[in-house]
Amino acid sequence: MRRAIAIIAALFCAAPTSGEVVVGSKVFTESVILGELATQLLVGDRIEARHQRELGGTTVLWSGLLRGDVDCYPEYTGTLRGEIFAQSSLRSDDELRRALAQQHVWASQPLGFNNTYVLGMRRDVAAQRSIAKLSDLGKHPDLRLGFSNEFIDRGDGWPGVKRAYQLTHTDVRGMAHDLAYRAIAAQSIDVTDLYSTDAEIAYYDLVALEDDRAFFPAYDALFICRDDVSDATKHALNRLAHTIDASAMARMNARAKLDHVSEAQVAADFASQTLQASTLVQVDSRASRIAKRTLEHLGMVGLSLLIAVLVAVPLGVLAYRAPRFGRVALAVADVLQTIPALALLVFLIPWLGIGYAPAIVALFLYSLLPILRNTHAGLADLPRDLRESATALGLSRSAQLRFVELPLAARSILAGIKTAAVINVGTATLGALIGAGGYGQPILTGIRLDDIGLILEGAVPAALLALLAQGAFGAIEHRWVKAK
Amino acid sequence: MIAFDNVTHAYEHAVALRDVTLHIDDRATTALIGPSGCGKSTLLKLIVGLAWPSRGHVCFGADKITPANVERIRHRIGYVIQSGGLFPHLSARENVTLAARHLRRESRWIEARVAELAELVQLPADLLQRFPGDLSGGQRQRVSLMRALMLDPEFLLLDEPLGALDPMVRHGLQDDLRALFARLGKSVVLVTHDLAEAAFFADRIVLMREGQIVQQGSYDDLRSQPADDFVRAFLVAQRVLVPASHA
Repeated sequence: MRRAIAIIAALFCAAPTSGEVVVGSKVFTESVILGELATQLLVGDRIEARHQRELGGTTVLWSGLLRGDVDCYPEYTGTLRGEIFAQSSLRSDDELRRALAQQHVWASQPLGFNNTYVLGMRRDVAAQRSIAKLSDLGKHPDLRLGFSNEFIDRGDGWPGVKRAYQLTHTDVRGMAHDLAYRAIAAQSIDVTDLYSTDAEIAYYDLVALEDDRAFFPAYDALFICRDDVSDATKHALNRLAHTIDASAMARMNARAKLDHVSEAQVAADFASQTLQASTLVQVDSRASRIAKRTLEHLGMVGLSLLIAVLVAVPLGVLAYRAPRFGRVALAVADVLQTIPALALLVFLIPWLGIGYAPAIVALFLYSLLPILRNTHAGLADLPRDLRESATALGLSRSAQLRFVELPLAARSILAGIKTAAVINVGTATLGALIGAGGYGQPILTGIRLDDIGLILEGAVPAALLALLAQGAFGAIEHRWVKAK
Repeated sequence: MIAFDNVTHAYEHAVALRDVTLHIDDRATTALIGPSGCGKSTLLKLIVGLAWPSRGHVCFGADKITPANVERIRHRIGYVIQSGGLFPHLSARENVTLAARHLRRESRWIEARVAELAELVQLPADLLQRFPGDLSGGQRQRVSLMRALMLDPEFLLLDEPLGALDPMVRHGLQDDLRALFARLGKSVVLVTHDLAEAAFFADRIVLMREGQIVQQGSYDDLRSQPADDFVRAFLVAQRVLVPASHA
């Protein structure tokens, strides 16, 4: 069954055509700009390329690269050393390249800027407490720290800083990177992790604390690709070698994040000014964007729901007929429901890659419980009189099920499907994190760019779709289910 | 003929029937009577395979009833329960014809049979389009009876068929039912807790208590020669004048 689902889901995703280079990017602005820049350069060199933007964090992209769902993406040397090759302590860049080559990954020349981690504070708070260096933080254990969720866990992040500077702070919270800026501006936290090319450092008037014990390694930006991409692709990406310095990158970030210029436009302007490369920027209209997202979203919800109905209704019947099996099946479905959606998606990536397939499998798994439970309950709750009447009439077991039990349980089964559909419409917004698109995409971008309009562009249609699903099932129920 | 041979039926920890031996004759009306929980409904369920003997066996004609043959035997038995057991999602007509359609009887035969039965149970034909929820209690029991009679069964088992009806409706339906039994000449087993009703319908009354048969015979037999104090107390409770005990 699992295999069948994987196959159906795989058929459903737009499988990259053999020649097409898929450029991925992480879910922060700089990565999206670099991904856009790379894609435009490739297209400019007449290489077929597509940008899968905002795919999630390092884990998602790295495993996507190894599996071949992604061909290239922008990465940082520090991340490769500290995250991906954390076990092997690779000192020089040559060592790093050799380690990558062993995984059949090619690395471009460095782009020219070091986007290292820094810890930052509001200038006024830092001045008031006379904090200028990371080692000064030790004297202020009462400070409230808010770190991006990635930073708080990774070895080269907070745990390492804490050890290196012997910090004892207890008020440490994880949050989305983009929200951390708003939190620090509002003074609900005092210290956060920043990227040194972040546009907000200047915007919010923050100071970057000096890393006086040289804890943070270099985070030189570069592109990594599967080594089976064409030489033309490698050549095109190496045109960016040493062309972007830290201030140029910070300016591009500022244009995208603060001035709300599209990443595509920012990338195109850089390409034409610095590389004299003319690229084409295609901007979809809002209506066509929403239409595309709607199709993606409906595809995810509809297909996962369809498979779930085909699996969970028969399972529910089986659970009703064989109570011992039923208890096990319901318990398993209960457990599946408790797995956090994001965790489930990430579990599925090594197995199914990124895109539609893992999203559909995850939504399918979440749909099982409500449908299974309601099918089982609908059948088990049938009045004994009616079940016995059907038996005494001399109907075969399958005829009893078909003509009496299932029609009478239909209302309950339909309610289960409705619940699953409405939950799925909401959960499917997370699909954007793993490249499945849908209404989650504008929400994700909107949170990143602090653009309420974009968030609403995803949230409003998602809410409408949920209402629509509810209404449609209500109509089906009214039309088809006669039983009380 | 239906025969119970030393049948015991136990469920979970309780015993519903204990070593019951009983012969139910063809073309007669037999009433099973007794206080609640005496096992009279269980007896009917054993005949249609809604319950199975823990010990002993039940025979339908010459055949011992087994899970292998019970489906065919069910087609030769009509079964009506107190609530009617009509399927609420099917119209009265669909309820009546369900089994016949399942057995792929010819639709012309089905039409003719429905018309015949509607007349027999005195149900206006237009009510057949209605759903059970839109019928009165008495109408529902008439439809239920049609459903039980659809395949022209040899036996008709009725489990308190009039128990849920108000006295006026009940009285009318009793008259209709008795006329119908006489006209059909079928074997009928009727479960009731009302002695007057049993006496009104039955050639033979079987009185049960705590899973066992206490006495069987005609109404007059019971009244004139109650087998023991329980029978006497049961008769008194039903406002029947009993000759004084000479024990």
